[in-house]
Amino acid sequence: MLVAVVVGMTAALLAWRERQEPGAVPLTAMLAGQVWWSVFFIFEYHAPTLAEKVFYSDVQWVGVVVIPVAWLLFALEYTGRDRYVRPRYIALLSLVPAVTVVLAATNDYHDLLYLDTRLVTEGGRVVLDRVGGPWYWVITGYTYLLGLLGSIPLLGLVRSDAVPFRGQSLGLLVGTLAPWASNVLFLVGAVPVPNLDPTPVFFAVSGVAYLGAITRFRLLGTSPSANHRARRLVFERMREGAVVVDRHDYVVDMNEQAAEILDIDPRDVLGDPATEVIPRYEHLPEEGRASRHLTLGEGIQTRQYDATVTAVDDFHGRSLGGVISFHDVSDHLRRQQRLEVLNRVLRHNIRTETNLIYGNADLIDAEGDHVDAIKAGAMRIEEISDKARDVIDIFERGRQSGRSLTLSGVLEECVATLREEYPSVTVDLEIESAVDSVDASGAAVSPVLTSVVKNVVENAAEHNDAADPWVRIRATCAEETVEISVADNGPGISDHERTALERGNETPLDHGSGLGLWLIAWGAEMADGDLEIDDREGGGTVVTVRVPRLAPVEE
Amino acid sequence: MSQEPTYASDERGANGRTERIVELLTSTGERAGTALVYSSAYLAAIATVEVAIAMALLSLSPNPAPVVVGLVTFAVYTNDRVADADTDAVSDPERAAFVRRHRDALYLLASIAYGLAVAISVLGGPVALAVTLLPGVFWVAYAADWIPNVSPHVRRLKEVLVVNSLVVALAWATTLTALPVAFTDAAITPGTAVVFAYFLLRSFVDTEIPNVGDIEADRAIGVATLPVAFGVPATRRALYAVDLLTVVLVAAAVVTGVLATGPAVALGAGVAYSLVVTGLLGRVDTDALELASECEYLVVAAALVGPLLVA
Repeated sequence: MLVAVVVGMTAALLAWRERQEPGAVPLTAMLAGQVWWSVFFIFEYHAPTLAEKVFYSDVQWVGVVVIPVAWLLFALEYTGRDRYVRPRYIALLSLVPAVTVVLAATNDYHDLLYLDTRLVTEGGRVVLDRVGGPWYWVITGYTYLLGLLGSIPLLGLVRSDAVPFRGQSLGLLVGTLAPWASNVLFLVGAVPVPNLDPTPVFFAVSGVAYLGAITRFRLLGTSPSANHRARRLVFERMREGAVVVDRHDYVVDMNEQAAEILDIDPRDVLGDPATEVIPRYEHLPEEGRASRHLTLGEGIQTRQYDATVTAVDDFHGRSLGGVISFHDVSDHLRRQQRLEVLNRVLRHNIRTETNLIYGNADLIDAEGDHVDAIKAGAMRIEEISDKARDVIDIFERGRQSGRSLTLSGVLEECVATLREEYPSVTVDLEIESAVDSVDASGAAVSPVLTSVVKNVVENAAEHNDAADPWVRIRATCAEETVEISVADNGPGISDHERTALERGNETPLDHGSGLGLWLIAWGAEMADGDLEIDDREGGGTVVTVRVPRLAPVEE
Repeated sequence: MSQEPTYASDERGANGRTERIVELLTSTGERAGTALVYSSAYLAAIATVEVAIAMALLSLSPNPAPVVVGLVTFAVYTNDRVADADTDAVSDPERAAFVRRHRDALYLLASIAYGLAVAISVLGGPVALAVTLLPGVFWVAYAADWIPNVSPHVRRLKEVLVVNSLVVALAWATTLTALPVAFTDAAITPGTAVVFAYFLLRSFVDTEIPNVGDIEADRAIGVATLPVAFGVPATRRALYAVDLLTVVLVAAAVVTGVLATGPAVALGAGVAYSLVVTGLLGRVDTDALELASECEYLVVAAALVGPLLVA
């Protein structure tokens, strides 16, 4: 019994040190209860008189009743069901134990806990022999009930997820079954010394077993059985690779995709330090996306991944570990590379070759009309390549989130360009607020909007063959959105161009005449806005772009 | 002539081996000394001597109390050092580094020591158990971080001037006096009160002396000690006063017949030693002084045992 005190006290202090770990505080309480029980049992054993023995026997109840409550709370916290560990539930669970302690202290008046108490001589020593009363069996049943309730999730843990951790699983099994087995043996009288309940000793064994387990593989308990299969299915079927690590950076779970990505067998690495399993693990952030792509594989098998860390906390906000997910961005990166090459070709090669054609056209010995036609053709090629570059620029800007421009800045730049390129076109700009409290001019909008509006107004001016061509720009700023409508008195936009835009793609037979309208549509989409093209009463077109306002960050 | 280089080589070899052995012994000794000092094991040894002194003064029969107190001292101080390793990095970086390096092992040893102490004290009965648990309770009250969380009005006792040292002194005086009494079921006598008062005063001095070296660290974490509040010279004068109070106590005990002259002389030798140590406060290295002040009980023990050995 003294050994039980030493082990229990030591384990309680060690468990208290780990009190941040789920389950550690109830474990400390359980061990303290066991030490209390053992200590007062020793006092009872050595006490010379009946009165003293009865007193120490009654005091033992304080420790005895703490154990089942703490046991259940430990099991709940340890297996990830900590949402049930709340003051009101603890108070409810403690009701029967509290009544027991009170009944033990006042047994002389009611005999509810013990019917009879006397001294008997066993093995040459005088020991206490007490006959349990009705409440004795209530508290015994209650203790076994809580014991059983606590054992179920713990045994479930041994049966399922803990398979790769066989050593610890054995500890869990022994820790769970030992005290109950010993108590059953005591109740049926199958212990070497009658009246000497060995249960406290075996609770010390449980405490040590759980103490070892608690610091090693906590996360296995975060898959409650009710939702286990559904959550497991989502985890296994998700397209991203996912590795679960505990708060001490040991790998505790991974899905098939992660095993494939990392080219490992999960059975070989579960329980290993994450640094040995995940390349560049030490460079990953505490939470969020890694700043660099993770490159895995060799030669043509090389693939790039975005690694993202998601912290996992328990119900009380304590860290349990994290999930590292791997998103394959190889295809995205390849498309990006292709766009960059295309950009270079449009920016440099086509422009150079077009200029060459334009320059050499002057040297051709031919009639003036033919030379002008070649030059006009070369200019159109250059315009198309400029538009294509604008498209790529839009995609580039779209990736740079967090930047914004003022509405007035965007519109005034577009108007200035238009007036310079089409001096004969009358341009009218008006910016107004839909509500008084809003500063329309200073409203922040996506930088992509510059290219969109510029193309809308150029389109309105370029094809305008009216006698007195004009373009009217009206911007209306509401609390959350900005609406820009561009009206003109030109010939309007043909139906097949609009149809292609509405359908979202082109075919070899049914396509638009260039890139301008596509640029407007894609740009509006990238700015999280929408686009409307309507005929204007009295001729011409009204193009309306509606985009959300952004947080005001100057570029 | 041809032998000379060989001879010289042998001599160098022999010298080399001797040097290596000396070096090995020196480094092992240094490591052992470091472990003894930094782990607070030496404090446990001194606490054991203190209980032995209390037992001698009260003429108690041999019992496990010194062992229990030694184990509790080791446990409580080691726990304290592990808990305060970060703040100690300012005042005593070498000790903090040692504690950090062996944090887990020290905590495990401290826990086992406390578990053993509690188990042994159970053999002494409920009072012995309560007395053994007392330093642990005081330690929690003294250093636990969760007390301010329970109530914002309750400051950590560690931060309150004089109370902090008094709490520690009270815990040790109670343990040192009450535990051997509890183990032997001895009666409480005026002699018990004198021994208790003696250890209360001595423990207060032992607690305040290290505070001189911790001024910066204590100020940084908001702990009020005598040197932080009043400076080193005023602390020195205050500790002189406590030393003189001890002399008055011992003298009164002798006059009233509570204490025999022989033990009183031994206690007087300890106080004389303490006066010298206090006089050096702020004038020599505080770490050495801290160690020296805690060795006061070795002086008392020597003064108690010396005459017996001579006789």
